[in-house]
Amino acid sequence: MRRRWPATVVRTAVQRVLAERGGLVVTLVFYVLVASVLSSLWRLSAAANGGSVAGYGAAALTWYVATTEACTVSLNIRLIADIGRDIGSGALAVELLRPVSVLGVRVAAELGRVLPRLALCLATGAVLASLVGGAPPRPAALVWVLPSALVAVTANVVAQHAFAGAAFWLRDAGSAWFLYSKFTFVLGGMLIPLQVLPGWLHGVASALPFSAMAYAPGRFASGHIEPWLLVQQLGWLAALTVGASAVFAAGERRLQVVGG
Amino acid sequence: MPDAAPDRTPLSREGQTRMARDAVGAIGRHRRGCVRHPVPMSIEVHGLTKVFVTGRRRQRRRIEAVRDLSLTVVAGERLAFIGPNGAGKSTSIKILTGILHPTSGSATVLGVVPWEDRKRLARRIGTLFGQRSQLWTELSPRQSYRMLAAVYGLTAAEEIERVGALGELLDASDLFDQPVRSLSLGQRMRCELAACMLHQPEVLFLDEPTIGLDLLAKQRFREVVVRLNAERGTTIFLTSHDVADIEHVAERAVVVNHGSVIYDDDVATMRRTLLATKLIEVHGAGAIDVPQGAGVSVLAHEHGSLKLTVDTGLTPVRDVLDRLLDNRDLSDVSVMDPPLEQVIAEIYAEPRA
Repeated sequence: MRRRWPATVVRTAVQRVLAERGGLVVTLVFYVLVASVLSSLWRLSAAANGGSVAGYGAAALTWYVATTEACTVSLNIRLIADIGRDIGSGALAVELLRPVSVLGVRVAAELGRVLPRLALCLATGAVLASLVGGAPPRPAALVWVLPSALVAVTANVVAQHAFAGAAFWLRDAGSAWFLYSKFTFVLGGMLIPLQVLPGWLHGVASALPFSAMAYAPGRFASGHIEPWLLVQQLGWLAALTVGASAVFAAGERRLQVVGG
Repeated sequence: MPDAAPDRTPLSREGQTRMARDAVGAIGRHRRGCVRHPVPMSIEVHGLTKVFVTGRRRQRRRIEAVRDLSLTVVAGERLAFIGPNGAGKSTSIKILTGILHPTSGSATVLGVVPWEDRKRLARRIGTLFGQRSQLWTELSPRQSYRMLAAVYGLTAAEEIERVGALGELLDASDLFDQPVRSLSLGQRMRCELAACMLHQPEVLFLDEPTIGLDLLAKQRFREVVVRLNAERGTTIFLTSHDVADIEHVAERAVVVNHGSVIYDDDVATMRRTLLATKLIEVHGAGAIDVPQGAGVSVLAHEHGSLKLTVDTGLTPVRDVLDRLLDNRDLSDVSVMDPPLEQVIAEIYAEPRA
């Protein structure tokens, strides 16, 4: 029986991460540090604000931050720059010599790198949040966290490929990476629940795809069962996939005409 | 009635060897015009041109990387595609593998127009770029092969059978389970070669495959490429700046410069005919007289030894040898072809038409 290449690429990339245990430890230490600091800050804010911030109690904020950080820290933060470098150096042109989609192989390989980190960070985050913030505000909501987190990291990886596609024309994806990371941190809800933002900015952030990459799983983890969030995430994932495919198709055509 | 589909039944090893031998033998006959039946072609290129436009507005420049390139490569042939930096070699390979569109001209590789049907062609060709790796350094080659096998649509049984056979053929079975980063560069290149042979390509493009390898590793790599060609009939399209790669791997050399083919013949013929100079070295017990004649140049002359070059277009080498052999004290005489580097340098030095 023929193997399905996306699953095999993901599996091989998982093996690659597991072979590099040092990298996993570094990710975990960084995650624990950042999640601990941010959750402490939010608990202090809640305490200073009569026990809650924008409807989130101290425990909810802790579970929120532990989840959004897990979805972000598990990603390769410089993925856009790396893709841009591969486009500029001609490494990506060589990948055109395979009989399958370049974008597909790249996304599958990146997901394989993210999944072990995500599993590790989510598990550690659950322990950390239980210890410092208390029991999850609504345990039933946690069922939604795992699928939402999976869609969040997938959407993030696909979106980074779409942004990195700028390098097909600009030869440098550095500026695209800078913009993207700032959007994800603030408008994606990685640091701050979107409800904390001013009204107009909350509206803008909710209408952008970045909220699908951190805010949605954080919202579930903080005890809000809002299934439409997962539907919205899936919608963004589909749209981003179409966008990234179009960028790569145009970029590949450009490479074929003007060279790498 | 539609054309019959080409027979893609896998050949036995003996069959492949015979096919490769027949095809290689056919090359010479084909060039001499003795063949009435068409020889199976792997690559056919006619008038291929690629122009790059660089710069903006007034500083816009047109660079003709490939200029009216025409070439045919017979199935099973081992061809060296050589030229100085900027001659158009890599651009030509990119066009032939489908990752670059030509500005004009036509080309087919295994009957497929590369830039129109890149993914279909990718299943039938292999590419090895000396400075790019298909293997993930953290993993063993076998783990990367599993991924590549899936990408090329092989079944698990096919993958296991082919990895085993390639390990034997390339003498690399013991390397397949070690992490790639622990392999030497020479070992890694043999594993890379296995990676690009996994889907049994009919044509293998090797772009500077021995770059960075030490002498022994280069020699071993050349041997496995020749063995691969002999046992599987894989057409080899090699570019290299290393003359020894060309001498030991290729049967035919195509020299490109300024984007056009400037020489195309057997490697042996190239060396023999292109530079009509012979090196003669003699040793003896006493003083050796220098034979006089047009085109005779002394390179080194000491008591008991003489080294000279003869331009055979001006003086036959036999005349020079006759005069040298008059000296009865000679103990050793050797006549040599000039090094291939010199031959190629002469070709590169040809002015642009």
